[in-house]
Amino acid sequence: MGTPAVELQHVTKCFAKVVANKDVSLTVNAGEVVALLGENGAGKSTIMKILYGLYGMDEGKILIRGEEVQIKSPADAMSRGIAMIQQHFSLVPTHTAAENIILGNVHGYIPIKEYEEKLKKIAQEHGFDVPMDRPVGQLAVGQQQKIEILKALYINTSILIMDEPTAVLTPQESDNLMQFIKNFAAKGNSVVFITHKMKEVMEVADQIVVMRNGVVVDKVRREETNEQALAHMMIGQDIVPPARTDSGEETGEEILRFENVSFQEKRGTALLQDISFTLHGGEIFGIAGVSGNGQDEVCDIISGVKRPTAGRLFFCGEDISQTSIRARNAAGIGYVPVDRYRDGMVMDMTLAENVLLKGCFDKKWINKGFIRERLLNKYTDEIIQKHRVKATGWSDMAGGLSGGNQQKLVLGREVDVGTRLLVFNQPTRGLDMGAVDRIHHVIMEEKAKKKAILLVSTELTEIFEMCDRIAIMHNGRFMGIYRNGELTTEQIGLLMAGVEEKKEAAQ
Amino acid sequence: MKRANILLYNIGAVAVGLVISACLLLFLGVDPISVCGQTLGKILSDKYNVGEVLVKATPLIFTSLAFAFTYKANLFNIGAQGQFLMGSIVAIALSLALQDVVPTFLLLLLVLLGSFAAGAVVGGLIGAAKAKFSANEFLVSMMSTYVVTNFMDYLLRTSLQETKAEYMQTDAISSSAYLPNILPGTRVHLGFALAVVVAVLIWVLLNKTSLGFQIRAVGKNPSAAGLGGINAKAITIIAFLISGGLAGLAGLTEINGVQHMLLRDFNASIGSYGIGIAILANGNPIGCIFASILFGFLNIMGTTMGRLPGLSIPASIIELIEGIVMICVIISYAARYYMENRSEKRRMRKAGA
Repeated sequence: MGTPAVELQHVTKCFAKVVANKDVSLTVNAGEVVALLGENGAGKSTIMKILYGLYGMDEGKILIRGEEVQIKSPADAMSRGIAMIQQHFSLVPTHTAAENIILGNVHGYIPIKEYEEKLKKIAQEHGFDVPMDRPVGQLAVGQQQKIEILKALYINTSILIMDEPTAVLTPQESDNLMQFIKNFAAKGNSVVFITHKMKEVMEVADQIVVMRNGVVVDKVRREETNEQALAHMMIGQDIVPPARTDSGEETGEEILRFENVSFQEKRGTALLQDISFTLHGGEIFGIAGVSGNGQDEVCDIISGVKRPTAGRLFFCGEDISQTSIRARNAAGIGYVPVDRYRDGMVMDMTLAENVLLKGCFDKKWINKGFIRERLLNKYTDEIIQKHRVKATGWSDMAGGLSGGNQQKLVLGREVDVGTRLLVFNQPTRGLDMGAVDRIHHVIMEEKAKKKAILLVSTELTEIFEMCDRIAIMHNGRFMGIYRNGELTTEQIGLLMAGVEEKKEAAQ
Repeated sequence: MKRANILLYNIGAVAVGLVISACLLLFLGVDPISVCGQTLGKILSDKYNVGEVLVKATPLIFTSLAFAFTYKANLFNIGAQGQFLMGSIVAIALSLALQDVVPTFLLLLLVLLGSFAAGAVVGGLIGAAKAKFSANEFLVSMMSTYVVTNFMDYLLRTSLQETKAEYMQTDAISSSAYLPNILPGTRVHLGFALAVVVAVLIWVLLNKTSLGFQIRAVGKNPSAAGLGGINAKAITIIAFLISGGLAGLAGLTEINGVQHMLLRDFNASIGSYGIGIAILANGNPIGCIFASILFGFLNIMGTTMGRLPGLSIPASIIELIEGIVMICVIISYAARYYMENRSEKRRMRKAGA
């Protein structure tokens, strides 16, 4: 097999609060696809960012093609043929594809037409069909990713690192990407791809490196393993999914009703078009779809951050289209937002203050304008215990907790605020499997209490595991509402991509 | 332990700043140690001078509180000067109109409310401009100072002008409208005690009440605060109202406590010093008291130094010293952050190895 393309030896990296990588060694051979598998926070991205020069390492060595190198910046990495595609793309949305690709590699006068021709040729060689002359902001996410890949190809990359490349893609787009990875590696290049999805790993990887808590747990060849064994390695324990109790017919009372709700920004395009559905107590209603297709707007309209521009919204029979957020909180709508850093918590406040965030008008916590601290602190400690938040107590700073623990605290707060309706917007995104498991159990518990639950998720497995009914969103519209079990993954994939189905939506 | 750390760094930074400043005296060809010794001796040996430190600190406590208060809501009120002047205008007008008419206690209470309200109106308008039209509060508050200054000059030339109509100043108020002295032998007046009490109340307001919590939440994360049902626009206006009122109170202490009349260019720089002091105190109301006393002390030190016989040290050197001290404190914030991060990291590595 000759000299390995990349060799990392005993790399250790510490951040101020955590050890991200401890004594990590791994080898990538030419022509090989390596999958870096692990839960979020296992240190997969960190080790690759060290290889790409975004982070410095504290200890260890990097060898490229047998030669020890110092990689201090992405420029160093690129000059050695290493490229990395970040989870969040680094494209300038107002620039065209061609401009984005040559960015940083041109000087002086730029004959843009010549570049476009040249790039089109490269794109065709790899079977990519991307318009070179349109601003990338107007392109679909899948297209944008192709541009990121072209950027790497343009600088003659032989070692391509991809961080969670399929997170934003539809199943079909993922298949195309997998095909590309296979072809690219077949030409003698190396690919490292970071993921937590077992299915992809089993499909394309030659070598699988499993990481947990910053260390390499095991390295296996694909032929020698299976999904169950990998899952066990990743988590270190077996996970029992919560038993889903199918509610059958919607026997509960009606809690939430959308009536032809549309929403558009001022002078913007319509983000929601004619959404109608009814949600009953004791039911989990799932919204599936690629992220950014209007799910966030549905949640915003329920929580009151945005007001519908047309249509009406009923909560327990009352029209709440125009009521304030404060009134909705008081009425018993709990909301776990997708971005807890932005919407869910105040990171440099204590846990108790974060709990108070949803209760600062509640007589329960406020006495004549003063905060009832003792009561609040006690309640916060109760949430911490009940939801197994790893924290020493109410006085911990929210920012000092790990993502999973922050989410558990938000969850604990919201299930008490939302006495009748709970809205979860991708509640398990970016969390380790232990936390995911805990959150799923809590959602099931709340369902058993006859609360109405809306669950937005981009993970189909989560949707299938949890929901009674499923709506598929594409481009601000419901592609249909189905009972769980009516659709196969394949069919949902097509609906998520916006392909209309002939069959009438069963209500 | 973390709070103790902050204090330690702050004291260290002030000390370093003073040492650097002392070295500047070398350029004037004088011996820094003996000059500082003489100056300190002069201040500390005379009760009156010590009192002057507190007198100078009093309005600075109010203007620094004004900045610190909006700072907690992540808003910037740099118009404390204008709010202070508006408070002064109302203080002098009320005092002149009501002195010898109502009893001293009642008069002072009315002036207290009046000057607070006057500052609050100016502040509230800035807050409203921000909340209703998303105006840049930085610019609006800065420009509001010019508006108020010129409004004051207009009044000093017309309705408020002294009876002699000679200079641009008002008549002096009668002694029945003075804030009572609280330290015999000095000029320290009730206003200083008021400032300390108000600072403590502001601390309580910010940390123990629902309103204070809402202000801090909006300042730290408006989006999350909004989902908690907090109306960020209302909070903006309220924060500016209170902030303006605090600066307005300095009008009471300066008119009824120290100057006893209003004149042109009245205490022209206490607004800008307030910003620096609030930053020095990292926005902590209690810290504002001590930082203001420090600046009051530096101020007196400068004047005293300038009066040392045969040395001809320009009194303006003190502005230099104040600047250097402030820069040192700001650098110390960055230094502390860096050191804490490093020690944490070292600990992690030890634990990891």
